[in-house]
Amino acid sequence: MDLQLSDEQQLIRDMTRGLLKEHCPRAVVRKLENDPKGFPAGLWKQMAEAGLTGLLIPESYGGGAQTMLEAALVYEELGRAIAPTPHFVSSLLSAGILLAAGSEAQKREWLPRIASGDAVITVAWLEPERGYGEAGVKLVAVAQGSDLVLSGTKRHVQYASAADRLIVLARTGAGIDLLLVDPATPGVKLTHYLSASGEPHYRVDFSSARVPQSARIGGAGTGWATFSRVLRDDGLIALAAFAIGSAAACLEDTVEYAKVRKQFDKPLGAFQALAHYMADASTRIDGGRVLVHEAAWNRAQGRSVARLAPMAKLFACNTYQDVTRTCAQIWGGVAFTIEYDTQLFFRRAKELQLSWWDVPYLEELVAADVLDR
Amino acid sequence: MDFDFTPEEQKFADEVERWLALNHDPVVMDPTRENFTQLADTPERRAFMKKLAAKGWLGMSWPKQYGGQEIPGVYEYILNEALARHAAPQIGKGVGIIGKTLIRHGSEKLKREFLPKILAAEIEFAVGYSEPNAGSDAANMQLKAEKVEGGWRLNGQKMWTTSAHFADWYWVGARTDPDKPKHDGISLFLIPMKHPGLEVQSLPTVGKDTTNQVFFKDVFVPDDYLVGKRGQGFQMISEALDLERFTMFTLSPIAERTRVLVDWARSAMRDDKPVREDRDVRRVIANIVTDTAVAKALSTRFVCAAKEGSGKPPTIESSQYKLFTTTLSQRVCDEALDLMGAAGTIREGQDEAPLRGRFEGAYRATMNETVGGGGSEIQKNIIARRQLGLPKNF
Repeated sequence: MDLQLSDEQQLIRDMTRGLLKEHCPRAVVRKLENDPKGFPAGLWKQMAEAGLTGLLIPESYGGGAQTMLEAALVYEELGRAIAPTPHFVSSLLSAGILLAAGSEAQKREWLPRIASGDAVITVAWLEPERGYGEAGVKLVAVAQGSDLVLSGTKRHVQYASAADRLIVLARTGAGIDLLLVDPATPGVKLTHYLSASGEPHYRVDFSSARVPQSARIGGAGTGWATFSRVLRDDGLIALAAFAIGSAAACLEDTVEYAKVRKQFDKPLGAFQALAHYMADASTRIDGGRVLVHEAAWNRAQGRSVARLAPMAKLFACNTYQDVTRTCAQIWGGVAFTIEYDTQLFFRRAKELQLSWWDVPYLEELVAADVLDR
Repeated sequence: MDFDFTPEEQKFADEVERWLALNHDPVVMDPTRENFTQLADTPERRAFMKKLAAKGWLGMSWPKQYGGQEIPGVYEYILNEALARHAAPQIGKGVGIIGKTLIRHGSEKLKREFLPKILAAEIEFAVGYSEPNAGSDAANMQLKAEKVEGGWRLNGQKMWTTSAHFADWYWVGARTDPDKPKHDGISLFLIPMKHPGLEVQSLPTVGKDTTNQVFFKDVFVPDDYLVGKRGQGFQMISEALDLERFTMFTLSPIAERTRVLVDWARSAMRDDKPVREDRDVRRVIANIVTDTAVAKALSTRFVCAAKEGSGKPPTIESSQYKLFTTTLSQRVCDEALDLMGAAGTIREGQDEAPLRGRFEGAYRATMNETVGGGGSEIQKNIIARRQLGLPKNF
């Protein structure tokens, strides 16, 4: 057992941290809230140049061929900076889906462009009044000749206005298919709405939007298996790392404040009631971080993370949400103002907890693995 | 980064597992004693420790000159977790606290007298730190040690000496220098438990085991049996606690209880339906399993920090581990009883109860885990000050 990072891993972490410090300070995060595009072009360019947009993509497609462990380190840094980027939807999920199930032509066409940051692909999955599971996918794709005709509505589609393609989960005769759809296709309409985090979310309406059958990623009816496997095995671990990084940053700010802010002639941190909140928070963050690393390491070793990955996101997001509330309590009244940064974390923590499978869904993944096998 | 044992460590873990399976004995290994399984408090359990000694598994991390093998502490961790998992007595106090403190600070005489006996499992110790007015404020111990011709005369009282009724020797902190600051006036002594001036009174606990209070009346201790330097007792006690916290609160019993609970939930029925189909049950189990994985992660963090060999004791990591794990330990019992409903009220040890009342018993036995060995609030103070750099708050 050894928790130390290799020199190369430390380098990736430090480089990412430095890059984000320079190109994604809190002022940038604030400026991009509620922006329809939602991410800074300068930051994205820098991430691409540093090889981060192609981190997990094989070298043969222009990527850096790193493992989930390096990705977890990068995501922890993205989380620390609460960086608004389409990295998750594009470089992680969409690239992961294409790698897992895409045809060679699809991989050749898209992976090098995702890796270079020149193309962004996002995932159109959830729908209004529908749940997180397979049964939640209702949008239909009906075969007409060599085409598929899409009708229905997607919501919670992140960074859609910047996307060159959407990967749409659609119900066909065979089950659920994954379809690569150009958002400029006639019959596809993007509507921006505000999210709790301020990151760009879209409603995407499909009214008889026509795509060729060759837009399908993988075999007919295999879409849910592909999507849920990539989300579980790679996505959840990355998001868990992001949550841990964010929680750690929020706590660090708070600890520093607790050393200087005085009440009753003592620093806040000298009150046990508050110091113990912070000790609990740091214990959960440090434990969660090791759990995330354990999941990432197992993934990198090619072992199953069917239980570890949902546990990691469940615990990390619960911790993040809990820590932001604790921190707000320690900051006191100022945490309630827009001027102070706690609210940036506070809103994002809840959104992340509800995104890409929520608490009950993750609990059920863990329970099924523990109780039903 | 590596979450597996090295091949050598794994080989040792497998060997221990095989040996424990071969030496399984329900008289020695009784999981219903919960955290008290670590004690070698019966003739059968002492005989078991002798078998461990014969395997060469006691004092593995000690220097060779004292009969050890100078192998990394992780082997003792592996051994102790395996012993705890099987509810066998564990290597705690003798090899850990007393042995390692004697090696670091003891006189040649004390080393020669005690170390071979520890390695041979011929001696059991009781530890006396707490007193009626020295609980969490351990440095407030008042047991009086007066200098007399050729030695010391001890008068006063100790609390929570769990091993007093079966141990051979007593490892005791006493105040030798009442005029010095409270942390600098304490010295450590070794006293034969059968000393006529010691009176052991049993304190039955809400669990199934007993602890003790011990009264000292004119207990004479020769100079030779003051351990290390006079006035350095508290420093030696703290150092040993930092190094040994993992032997006092092993992860395995908690992981085992989680496993037992999951096994129960997989097969139990209520109202003619499998309990596991209940959505609330599934949520509870998912969170317990997840938090048990976090406890394991914190234990890994602690072991790795000890291993990294910065020379710094893993104080913060051990406090975080102890805080989280003991809290979880109690929660597992609590949630288990909730899942069992009315049947959870049946007292441990009866066939009438689910799992023969394992969780009813554990609910009581684990009450003290968030108090003993530094309570949760003490651990939080340590984390707040040493990790977060917050000001002293008491």
